[in-house]
Parts: sequence; structure tokens; C-alpha cells
Amino acid sequence: MIEVVLNDRLGKKVRVKCNGDDTIGDLKKLVAAQTGTRAEKIRIQKWYNIYKDHITLSDYEIHDGMGLELYYN
Amino acid sequence: MANRTDPSAKSIHGTNPQNLVEKIVRSKVYQHTYWKEQCFGLTAETLVDKAMELDHLGGTYGGTRKPTPFICLVLKMLQIQPEKEIVVEFIKNEDHKYVRVLGAFYLRLTGTVMDVYQYLEPLYNDYRKIRRKQADGKFSLTRVDEFMDELLTTDYSCDIALPRVQKRWVLEQAGTLEPRKSALEDDFEEDEEKEEDEPADISEVDYYHKRSPTRDKDRDRRHDNYNHHRDRRDYDRGRGRDRDRDRDRDRDRDRERDHHHLKDSDYSRDRDRDRDRDRDRDRDRDRRDRDRGRDRRERDERKRHRGSMSPPRRRGDVERDEPKKKKEKKEKKNDGTDHPDPEIAEANRLRASLGLKPLKL
Repeated sequence: MIEVVLNDRLGKKVRVKCNGDDTIGDLKKLVAAQTGTRAEKIRIQKWYNIYKDHITLSDYEIHDGMGLELYYN
Repeated sequence: MANRTDPSAKSIHGTNPQNLVEKIVRSKVYQHTYWKEQCFGLTAETLVDKAMELDHLGGTYGGTRKPTPFICLVLKMLQIQPEKEIVVEFIKNEDHKYVRVLGAFYLRLTGTVMDVYQYLEPLYNDYRKIRRKQADGKFSLTRVDEFMDELLTTDYSCDIALPRVQKRWVLEQAGTLEPRKSALEDDFEEDEEKEEDEPADISEVDYYHKRSPTRDKDRDRRHDNYNHHRDRRDYDRGRGRDRDRDRDRDRDRDRERDHHHLKDSDYSRDRDRDRDRDRDRDRDRDRRDRDRGRDRRERDERKRHRGSMSPPRRRGDVERDEPKKKKEKKEKKNDGTDHPDPEIAEANRLRASLGLKPLKL
């Protein structure tokens, strides 16, 4: 189980517990449940790399405590 | 300049009509070349020509959320605000299905509740295929009536939040709307008559008497399950509702056959053996997907078993399998949501509601 921090730099900072083998799509659903936006509207990035929905967190080498950028579509 | 709403346009749902599309999607449309090139200076007439050129539906797609021409035209319609008669003409147009869908979507966004139900429900009879672009850029197939159902029942479609409409039954109770008369009602009545006339199997007749004949849904499901009935294996594989119904039917059947007492015991023994064999197979498949810890435990058990000299007895297997099955059921329930740590339990509950596996600790 890892805990990821998502920050949109406009006031929304969310800590989400998830598995390493969850996909980004699953992570978006968890974030949507916590923030109240829709999962399809969320975009997760790291600098200019937009993370794709079907790839797992472990494949993106997202480890415990790592921060991701939260943007909206 | 080009993006401003017509100053003579009315406000819809209390706001500038273009605000029905939310800010981010709107900005994407404004920046898109289709909007800049094709949608500049469109009027209601020229808009029809553009609408006839449409060949798919959809919201935004891709990593950068590009808007589809459909959404661009919807926003254009919101900007110029054509008259209601024109929109109704769009909907009544039989030749071009995308013009129809565009008109229906616009009416769903801007029309009153009565208008929405009045004009969109006839479109339930249109079952032509339409292409839909999904969020990942791939196309999917849907039909006009499915899309209408989505517009009438959900509150989000094609990346636009649809304004709230009251449920049909609320309006029916208030008397403003009549109960829906489906175009297929006549077909259903014919089917009902046909079923009552046909000389049915004995088993069929029994169920017929036991269940109320007016439950259409059950009847359809029953029809589908008939073939499964013959094959006892599929019986046991049925999950959830199917399994309960099959089990009920089993019990009914046994009750009926009580006078064949001896045969009954043979019957049940065979079924138990089949059931256990099936459960073994299913469980083996599940086992592969489970935690490594449990696999290790299994491996140890098997090693221990291999060490023993006695050959595997069939009855012994059956007995061992029953407690294993019970343990599995318990473990399945405990999976996640009964964790002592309340945070993790809540996280697991959320994950279960989203359809995800529980957290691996």
C-alpha cells in the first residue's frame, strides 16, 4: 500500500492510499471520490508528462509519499 | 468578439447560455480549429449544413481533450440560440440522424422539462446506429434510442453536465405528464397471448403458476435461463441473483419430488459431488489471483499431503473442501472492510464501492 499526494496548487491537496498495482484510472476514481470532481475531468501530471489511464502506478515508478500534480481537463 | 453570445439571446437556466458548457471545455472549443474555421459567422441555416456533415457524437477526447465537431456545434447553437421551432425541425428530421441527435441534445440543455419529455421520448423509437467517440479517442457503437435514454436518465453526457429534469413518475403524479405508452406495448401483448396458448413443459408450467405472470422482467430472464437449467454445472456457476433463483428452483423441485424419496438421495449426492468439483475448479482459478501468503500456505499444505503415504480419498476431499469453502466465504467478507484500523477500513470500503480490490498492506 502506498500513499500518494496530489496537489493542484490552487488549494486542493489530497492524500490517497492505493496499491502499487492500481492503474492511474483507478487513482483518478479515488481522487474523484475525495475531491468531488468527476474522474474524467482529472488529469494527473508530473511536469509535462501526462499520466495515462491504463498504466499502473508501479510501472510509472510512483512510490510511497510521492507528489503528483493535479490538473483538470 | 466571435465568442460572445448574441446580445439579444435570452438567459437559459438563469445564466449566459454558453455557460452551460463548463469553462475548461468551452476554452478547448474556442481554441480548436473547427470552431475558428467552420463555426465562424454561422446562422441557423448554415448550421444545418454543418450538422449534416457530422458523422460522430462525443465530448472531448485524447490526452489534451480535443473537442469533437459535435460539441463545437452544440456550443455554436448555444451562442446563436435558434428558435424553438427550428430545433424541433432538427429533431423531426428523419434523414440525418446526427442532425436529430444534435437537436435533441440542444433541447435537453435548454428546454423546459415538459419539452424535454415531449420531444425526446418519440426518439426512443429510432434505433439507428450512431458512432460515438469515447474519451480515449476510440469509437464505439451506440443507437439513437440508447443515447436518448442516457440524456433522459443521467445528468452528464458528452462532457457537459445536463440540467436537472425531474423524474418521469414525479411528473406523472403531478398530472402534468401522462404515463408513458411504449411503441412496443402491442408487441408485448401479442407475446403474452402466445405464451399462454403454447403447451408448455411440466417444469415451465410450474414456474408459471408460482410466479406472478405480469412480471415481464422475470419472464425474459426465465426464458434465458431455460437452457442453463438442463446443464447442472451452469446452475452452480450462476452468481448472485441467478444463483439464488436457481437455488430456489432447486428447492421447489425437490419439494415436488418428495414422493420419490430414494431417488432424491441419489440425486442430491450426485449434485453435491458435481457442486464440489465445480467449486474446486472455480476456487483454483481464484487461488491463482490471491495473495502470495495464501499460496505459500497452500504449497505447505500440499507438501504435507504429498509426504503422507495414504492415497487421496475422494470422500476425504469432499469433507476437506466444505470447511475450506466456508473459510473462503468468511475471508471474502473480511477482505478489507473489517480491518481494525478505521482509516484502512474506510479506504477499503471506498475501493469496494468503486469496484477495486482492497489495499495490500
